[in-house]
Amino acid sequence: MNERHTTMPSDAAQLPALLTFLQDFWSEFKLPPAEALTFELALEEVFMNVVMHGSHADRAPRVNVSITLEDDGVTLTVEDDGPPFDPLSLPAPDLTASLETRRVGGLGVFLVRQVMDSVRYERRDTTNRLKMTKNMAGVGPRHAA
Amino acid sequence: MQTRIESLGRVAIVTPSGRLDFGAAALFQSELESALANTPAGVVIDCAGLDYVSSAGLRVFLLVSRAAARSGIALVICSLKPAVREVFDVSGFSQIIAMGADRAAALEKMPQ
Repeated sequence: MNERHTTMPSDAAQLPALLTFLQDFWSEFKLPPAEALTFELALEEVFMNVVMHGSHADRAPRVNVSITLEDDGVTLTVEDDGPPFDPLSLPAPDLTASLETRRVGGLGVFLVRQVMDSVRYERRDTTNRLKMTKNMAGVGPRHAA
Repeated sequence: MQTRIESLGRVAIVTPSGRLDFGAAALFQSELESALANTPAGVVIDCAGLDYVSSAGLRVFLLVSRAAARSGIALVICSLKPAVREVFDVSGFSQIIAMGADRAAALEKMPQ
């Protein structure tokens, strides 16, 4: 079984636990350390988006995080039961803006799209689901000794 | 994350180390704002010990660089590790924030 998952409230105080979850997965499957930071970044950005947008709801959404080792890649899936919100609908930041006019909004999701090979959103029943995959040649069950 | 701040003449040298994530960003921002409040001629943020930065950390670098520019304080960020450098590059921040390859290069950009 090459999948692990965890569930928590959408609360910024959960970030250290999420980091531990990710790092445990990385060491269990002996994945390349250089790619760990990519997933830490994606998980922080996506989770904090849920925290920010979920704060408009009358209760904090629950967040399900799962990570799956596949052949030649790793997939991270973040689901929440908050109000419908497609982070991929956010406009990309204006990379040509000056120091004085540059805005920070939307930067997190933009970074996720840059560091991952595929990012897909779907709303299914009462759940937002964001699925991110990074290709990593040579990892996964088919390559296990 | 830990941040050390020291003075070199009229230049403040800020040395963050560890992970600049959402949880660390607010404190790092207030430490940098305190450094700016002392009105140094310049600020060098030496990131040799910085392992990780997210958009929450980038936001602090942006706000503090903007505040420094408005106050006429030279601010240069230097010695980024490759993984952190990538986040600066992808976000376009390397284009709008003054960067130095290492501390010596950053100090050369400080007012004499």
